[in-house]
Amino acid sequence: MSVRRLLPGVLALCLGAILARALALSVGVNHLLLAIALGFLVTNVVGIPDRLEPGIATHKLWLGAGIVLMGASISLESVLEVGGVVLLVVVGVTATTLLVVELLARNVFGLADRMGSLLAAGASICGVSAVVAVAGAIRAREEQIAYAAATVLLFDAITIVVYPIVGDLLNLSGVVFGTWAGVSMFSTGPVVAVGFAHSEVAGQWATMTKLARNALIGAVVLAYASYYARDGGGGRPSVRTLWDEFPKFVLGFLALAVVASAGVLSSAQLDSIENAYNWLFVLAFVGLGTEIRLGDLRNTGATPAVVVLFALLVSSALSLAVLLAVL
Amino acid sequence: MSIDGWRPNVDTVVARWSALERDWKSVFVGVAIVALVGVLELQIPW
Repeated sequence: MSVRRLLPGVLALCLGAILARALALSVGVNHLLLAIALGFLVTNVVGIPDRLEPGIATHKLWLGAGIVLMGASISLESVLEVGGVVLLVVVGVTATTLLVVELLARNVFGLADRMGSLLAAGASICGVSAVVAVAGAIRAREEQIAYAAATVLLFDAITIVVYPIVGDLLNLSGVVFGTWAGVSMFSTGPVVAVGFAHSEVAGQWATMTKLARNALIGAVVLAYASYYARDGGGGRPSVRTLWDEFPKFVLGFLALAVVASAGVLSSAQLDSIENAYNWLFVLAFVGLGTEIRLGDLRNTGATPAVVVLFALLVSSALSLAVLLAVL
Repeated sequence: MSIDGWRPNVDTVVARWSALERDWKSVFVGVAIVALVGVLELQIPW
């Protein structure tokens, strides 16, 4: 894709990011949430011109790059201190959410097996990316993918608003709020946004927890591919799937965490890197906001939304109770 | 070397970049920023 095609949209993201930052400074509202609101308003009020779309679609690239750079700010000491417990919570909550959605979808609400599996993957692992990854492995139908993706996006939009309110009402600490958001919200972008909107510590824990969850995608795709391959309805599962589906920016994040912990970078350099990822996140969240289209959300089926709502309530309440007890 | 001499090199870089998976592109952007900050002492304001 040529630079000329991407440039207008990328410039629009930069403009949005500067505007969000300036507005945040003048009205005292979190810049990341403002960036999402700005993108949301533009896309739903005036619409995005076609020539801006390719550049705006790069927002996931900037989010990934921001996460890689965030590795430099991570204290490996504190990760090692409570990381084991958090990892157990991640695996436990992911498995519980997946099972709850599958059971409700198949046995209570009578959804098609593949539809239930797409919703389970989206709710338990990493939102729309997981829906798309699992859809390829189980050969889901186009409309099932669209319904599942719309349902995930609906709850992304809801949780971006609700989680910060609940965090403030319960006066949760940065570690608890960040881990809770990382373990129970759906897509990576909204998790990072609400985490950093709460506090720097919450943002770091939200991102780390979400990365650990995202890393499970390979195993989940492999499991689903094997299950559906029994009746010849799925793709051919292989161990290579684990690597193919693994989110590679996690490796960049870990590498930078090790480099920074070795003391290679000065404090001025670390400050610059932190500023760089803050800008990348604002840039990414303007783009994320443009993906929340009210028209798409109206296409969500009522039954899939009810299934996912139940699962979200269970995983959210369960994980918060466990985190408050152990952290 | 004329500007036409650089063209194949630029085309190769663009083709290689386009073929990269998005996650690897993110890693590359991150590494490029760290290199700029580390080697050239680039200061990024906030």
